[in-house]
Amino acid sequence: MLAEALAVLAKELRSELRSRVALNAILLFALTTLVAVAYQIGPYRIHEEDRPHLLAALLWIILFFAATSGLARVFVKEEDAHTAKTLRLAARAGAVFAGKFAFNVVLLGTLEIVVVPLFCVLLGYRVAGPSNLVLLLAAGTVALAAVATMVAAIISRASGSGTLFAVLTVPLALPLLVMLIQGTRAAAGSAELAAVLPALRGIVSLAGVTLVSSVFLFPVVWHD
Amino acid sequence: MPEPESLFWVAAVTVVIWVGIFFYCLRLDRRLHQLERGE
Amino acid sequence: MTRWKPVLVWLLGVWMVVVCWAAFFYAPTAQGFKGESARIVFFHVPQAWVAVVAFCVNLVASIRYLRGRDPVDDIRAAAAAALGLLFSVLATISGSIFAKIMWGSFWNWDPREVSIAILLLVYAAYFALRQAVPDEERRGTLSAAYAVLAFVTMPFLVFVVPRIYWSLHPDTLINTSGRIDMESRMLQVLLGSVAGFTGLFAWLYSLSVRLARADLRRRQQEGG
Repeated sequence: MLAEALAVLAKELRSELRSRVALNAILLFALTTLVAVAYQIGPYRIHEEDRPHLLAALLWIILFFAATSGLARVFVKEEDAHTAKTLRLAARAGAVFAGKFAFNVVLLGTLEIVVVPLFCVLLGYRVAGPSNLVLLLAAGTVALAAVATMVAAIISRASGSGTLFAVLTVPLALPLLVMLIQGTRAAAGSAELAAVLPALRGIVSLAGVTLVSSVFLFPVVWHD
Repeated sequence: MPEPESLFWVAAVTVVIWVGIFFYCLRLDRRLHQLERGE
Repeated sequence: MTRWKPVLVWLLGVWMVVVCWAAFFYAPTAQGFKGESARIVFFHVPQAWVAVVAFCVNLVASIRYLRGRDPVDDIRAAAAAALGLLFSVLATISGSIFAKIMWGSFWNWDPREVSIAILLLVYAAYFALRQAVPDEERRGTLSAAYAVLAFVTMPFLVFVVPRIYWSLHPDTLINTSGRIDMESRMLQVLLGSVAGFTGLFAWLYSLSVRLARADLRRRQQEGG
């Protein structure tokens, strides 16, 4: 099963590296938004006491909206290209989900590696606990990818439109976003692990719960 | 006649709205009953 | 059960008239609120409660549908969701009115307010999804899957986030609720109202399901 999942992941990575459609879309979105925001706000425009809230929120707004523009592709492109039926026969449902989920994690991770340092530089975001932030980003990536992949599977069997994807993902991702913003604030403010622990626990639990539910829900949706 | 601002009117309006909803649902109930019995 | 039905329905009718009257005349004026505005709680709390009950009914129906693919379960899920949407809207509106009177602004980002708004978004997303799927069986499957996914992510907003959510605003709503309910007469009316609204939900739900089933039967007869 692991081998199948890895095969699915490998195939996704290869096709993405060839065409780079999703990567370009999300990077473009994120960088455009970031530059637009940074140009207007810059490192000095926000008052010192508001910085922690606002910068944390801005970062995640940029990341989240960039993500929604690209994470649905994993399933939608299969349906569009009519390769979905072959995939259903070729691999087990669990492997398909695992592979595509892993791909989304990689995609999101790449987005963050590019955007987060840039964000900190352009907006003068001083992070006291970078290791905390990395932990948070890792957990958040897994959680967001989990939710997004499951929703992408659902909408790919519906109309597959990007709007529908956004509409369905927003209510589910809001709690996650709130925890991430709160955690990012904490990470920026302190290098202590204890500061981000509450948010981290919440995010990891959410990721866990989503993945476990997907184990049951995905095969039902996939083989419909 | 109670004052125009008094709670009496708010309460009265609320009750009237409820009675309206109630009888509407009752009518629906009866029509459904007929539909189900007719089959 | 059918013998008791008319009795129960008329009892509900009379009960709610009593509740409406009691909300304005039996319950004492609450301390610390602008005029009589606190009385809105007798309508606002039951509405929010019903929205949550509807969510649970929808969850049960969705799970049953995923197991058995009985079209009646899909009908039940949709009926519960429609009522849930209605009561979420009512709860949000009544909450906003109260917030405007008490604190001068319609929205305050109190965690409770946000929870009911997110519930509203979930219901709206649920119907957006249903709209996008023409095939009945697939519509049932996809919306049931989404409902389950939404249900597992909800607790994070309601229980986890408030513990780590930064308090930009005081939690006056939750505190004052604690204070109100110490007045026994107010508590009586509140509980009576909750019971009444729950009864109303049960009746509306049953009407809705019966109507949809009759419609389904008619369509099956025409098609068959």
